[in-house]
Amino acid sequence: MKALNRLPPMLGFGLVAALAALPFSGNAYLTTFAFSVLIAYILGQSWDWVAGEMGYVNLGHYAFYGIGAYAFAIVLVGGSPFWLAFVAALGVTAIAARLLAVPLFRLHGDYFAFASLALLPLLEVLAYNLTPITRGADGIVLPVAQVLQPAYLIALAVCVLTFAVTLRIHGARFGYALKSIRNDEQVAETVGVRIAPVKRRVLILSSLFGAAAGALQAWQMSYIDPATVFGLNVALAPIAMVLFAGSGLRYGPLVGVLLLASMQQWLLVSVKGFQATLYGATLLLIGRFMPGGFLRAKWVRRVPGLAEFGREHHEHAMTAGVQAPAKAGGELPLKTLPVDGARPLIELQGVRMQFGGNVAVNDVTLSIRAGEIVGLIGPNGSGKTTLFNCISRVYTPTAGRVLFDGQDLAELGRDGIARLGVGRTYQIPRPFSDLTVQENIAIPLMFGAKPLSPRDALREARAFVDYAELGPRLYDRADALSVQEKKALEFARALACRPRLLLVDEVASGLTPAEVKRFVEHIRHVRDRYGITVIWVEHIFSALEQVVDRVIALEQGVLIADGPLDAVVRNERVLATYLGAAAAATQPSAQPMLIQGVA
Amino acid sequence: MEVLLQVLIGGVLLGGLYALVAFGLSLIYGVVRILNFAHGTLLAVCGVAASLAFSAWQMHPALIAAMLAPLLFAFAWAYYHLLLRPLAARNHFEGTVGTVLVTVGTLLILSDLTAKAAGSTQRNIPLRLPALEFGEIVVSSTQLLILGGIVVLTIVMHVLLKHTWFGRAIRAVTQDGVGAQICGVRSVHMKALTFAFGSATVAVAAVLYVLSFPVDPYMGFGLTVKAFTIIVVGGVGNLPGALLAGVFLGVAEGLTGLYWKPEWAPALSVIAMLLILVVWPKGLGRSA
Repeated sequence: MKALNRLPPMLGFGLVAALAALPFSGNAYLTTFAFSVLIAYILGQSWDWVAGEMGYVNLGHYAFYGIGAYAFAIVLVGGSPFWLAFVAALGVTAIAARLLAVPLFRLHGDYFAFASLALLPLLEVLAYNLTPITRGADGIVLPVAQVLQPAYLIALAVCVLTFAVTLRIHGARFGYALKSIRNDEQVAETVGVRIAPVKRRVLILSSLFGAAAGALQAWQMSYIDPATVFGLNVALAPIAMVLFAGSGLRYGPLVGVLLLASMQQWLLVSVKGFQATLYGATLLLIGRFMPGGFLRAKWVRRVPGLAEFGREHHEHAMTAGVQAPAKAGGELPLKTLPVDGARPLIELQGVRMQFGGNVAVNDVTLSIRAGEIVGLIGPNGSGKTTLFNCISRVYTPTAGRVLFDGQDLAELGRDGIARLGVGRTYQIPRPFSDLTVQENIAIPLMFGAKPLSPRDALREARAFVDYAELGPRLYDRADALSVQEKKALEFARALACRPRLLLVDEVASGLTPAEVKRFVEHIRHVRDRYGITVIWVEHIFSALEQVVDRVIALEQGVLIADGPLDAVVRNERVLATYLGAAAAATQPSAQPMLIQGVA
Repeated sequence: MEVLLQVLIGGVLLGGLYALVAFGLSLIYGVVRILNFAHGTLLAVCGVAASLAFSAWQMHPALIAAMLAPLLFAFAWAYYHLLLRPLAARNHFEGTVGTVLVTVGTLLILSDLTAKAAGSTQRNIPLRLPALEFGEIVVSSTQLLILGGIVVLTIVMHVLLKHTWFGRAIRAVTQDGVGAQICGVRSVHMKALTFAFGSATVAVAAVLYVLSFPVDPYMGFGLTVKAFTIIVVGGVGNLPGALLAGVFLGVAEGLTGLYWKPEWAPALSVIAMLLILVVWPKGLGRSA
C-alpha cells in the first residue's frame, strides 16, 4: 500500500521530465497539443483555488486570461521585451482583479457566479470597441515567430508552480481560511478569520496565474482577437474539465484537464461542424451526471492506485500526520484569567436592534463582571440570540454601545471581536461541515490573538477535542457527527478562541439529562479553572440553577428582570410572560414546577 | 426632438421586453433556485422561429405566440425533469456548478443548432401596420401592439401571482420551500410548473420582441445578462421593480446609442450592475 501511495509523486516526476523533453522531439503538433493542455491546467487549477477551496464559483475566470493576453500583446507590440510584457500582463490583471473584487464580493452564491460570468460579455464589448488600444475585431498580431519551444517550457514551469502553490495552500493558514469561508463565512469571522482580505488575495492569486496563461497563449499563437479570449464558447472549458474529475481534490484538476483536453483535441481534428453543439453537450453531460467529479465515485475507491487520486485533501499526509497524544486530566492549553470581581467585563448601554418596524432588542442596558456566569432567559422570540448577535457583531446594533473590558466594540468587525476574546456557540450548531473535528478546532487556534501555525494548531486542538470527549471522532468530518457531538464540537471550538467571554446559546436543549449535566460541569469548570465569563441562554432551569450567579430575563426585547435565579422566577412579569401564570397558581408559595423539571 | 422621442419610446418598449424576460427568469430563480443561463437564448430561438413562421405562412404574430408558448412550456417541463431536477439532490456546490454547466451547455447547443438550421443572420417580422397620428406625434401601431402585449402579459402575471392558488403556491415556495411543502404544496410539481411557465412567457416576449427589434441565434446570452442585472437591481420576484429597472435600462441603452455609440449599449447593463453593487450594496430586496 505504501508503494501505491508514492505512485502519484513518482508519476508526477516522470510526467514532468517527459513533458520537458517533448519540445526537443521535433514533433510540433504534439508539442502544440501539450502546450494547450498545460494552459488548460493552469487555468483550471487556479480557478479551483477560488471555487474548490473557497466555494466561490467564479465563472468569469477567463476574464483574467483575456486581460493578461491583451495586456501582454499591447505591451509587446509597443516594442518591449518578452519579460517586461509578461510582468506587465501580470500587473495589469492583478490590478483589475483587485478592483473587480470590490463589487463581486458584495455577492454570494449564485449571484456571484452570474455576475462573474457577466464580466466576459463586458470585456468582449470593451475589446471590440476600444479600437485605438485593442484594434477591435481585427485583433492584434504579435511581432514574434517560432516561440513554441520557449513558450512551452515557461508554461511547463508555471504548471509546476501552480501545482506547488496548490500543495502549499492545502497546508497553510491561508488554505484553512479559504476552507472556513467555503463552509460558513459568518462563523469563520466569529472564530477570528479576517475574510475580506483572504477573499481578495485568493482572487488576485488566481488572476495572476490566469494572466500568465493568457500571456503565454498569446505569445505562442502570435495573434489574439476578442472572441478567442472572451468568448463564452471557450471560457467554461477549463472549469468543466476540473469539475469532470473533481473540484477541490488535489489531483482533480490535473486528471480532468488531461482527459478532457485530449478528447477536445481529438474532436477538433475528427469532427467538422457542430463543434459548438458537441462542446455544449459535453458541458451539459458533465453538469448533469458528474458535477462532483468522477474521482469521487465509489468505484474509484476500489481501484488500487486510482484511489490515491480520488482522496480528499484532508486524507492526505499533512493533517493525518499531525498526531498528538491524548491528554488525561482534561486540562486545556488556556491561560487562567484574573478574576477581578469589581470590574465589568461586558457592558451594554441602551443597545437596540431594529429590523424594519420590529424592535428585537429594545434599549437593553446591563453589565456583567469578569468571572460571572449569567443565565439569559426569556420566551422564544424575546431577543436572547439577537442580543448575542449584537455582541459578536453578527448584527450591527441600531443604537447603543457595547463595551468589552472598557473598549467600545463599535470600531471592530466580527473577527476583531473574536480575537479580543469573545467566543460563541450557535443555537443550531454550525460546525465547518466538510472539515474534520480536529480542523474545526484548529481554525480558531490559527486565527486567534496569538496565531499558531497549522501544524501546532492541529496538535493543540487535540486537548480541546479530548475535553469535549470527541477523541474517537478526531479525524471524522463534522457533518458525520450527531447533534449532541456537534454541540460539543461547537463548545470546544468556542473555547479554542481562547475567550474571556463565552456566549453559549441553548447548548443543552434537546439533550439527555446526562449530557446536560456534562455541559453544566464544563461551564462551571471553564469559569472556576480558567476564569472565563459565561453568558448562557437556556430554558432548562434545573441546569441553570446549578451554575449561574444570576439571571437576566428578556421579554419582547426589553430587560424585565435581573438578579438571583430564585428571585427572578418569582418576579411577576417573568411569571406572566415566560413561565406562565399557571406555574405561579399551582405553587403559589415558591418555586414553579419548571425549576425542578429535569433535576 | 422627434428623434429623441422616438428613441425614448423605443427604449421604453425594449425595456418592457427586458423586464418580461427578467421576470420569467426571476420567477424561476425564486422558486427553483436555478439561474437559467439559457433563458435569453430561448427568446432568440423563439424569435427566429417566429420570424420563419411569419415569412413562410404569413401567420398573425398573436397566433404564432399562441402556438409557441405551449410548445415551450412542454419543452421546459420535460427539460426540468430530465436535466435539472436530479441535481437538486446533490450538495450545494455540486448543484450550483451542475446547473451552470447544464444550462450553459443548453445555451451553446441551442444557438449552434438554430444557426445551422436558420442561418446566423439577423431576422425580424416585417409586419407593418398603419401609423397612428396624435397631432404632431406619429406612433406606429406595431409599437402600440407591443406595448399592449407587454401590458397584458404584465397584468396576467400579476393577477396570476396575487390572486390564484398557483400564484400563492409560487410565492410560498419562493419564501420558504420546506414550509410550503409541509403545508401540502407539491413542491417538485410546483418547481416544474414554474420553470415551464417562466419559460413559456419568453415565447410571448419573443414574438413581441421580433416585431420591432432584430434577433439572431447568438443574441441570447446578452439578454440573459441584462435580465440578471434587472433582477439584481429590482429584487427577486418583484414585478414592479423589474419593470422599472427594465424600462430604465432600455431607455439608457437608447440614449447611449443616440448620443454616443450604439455599440457601447450592450456593455451598459454590466457596468451599471457593477456600479450599483459598489454604491448600493444592499439593493432592493437582495439578500446576502
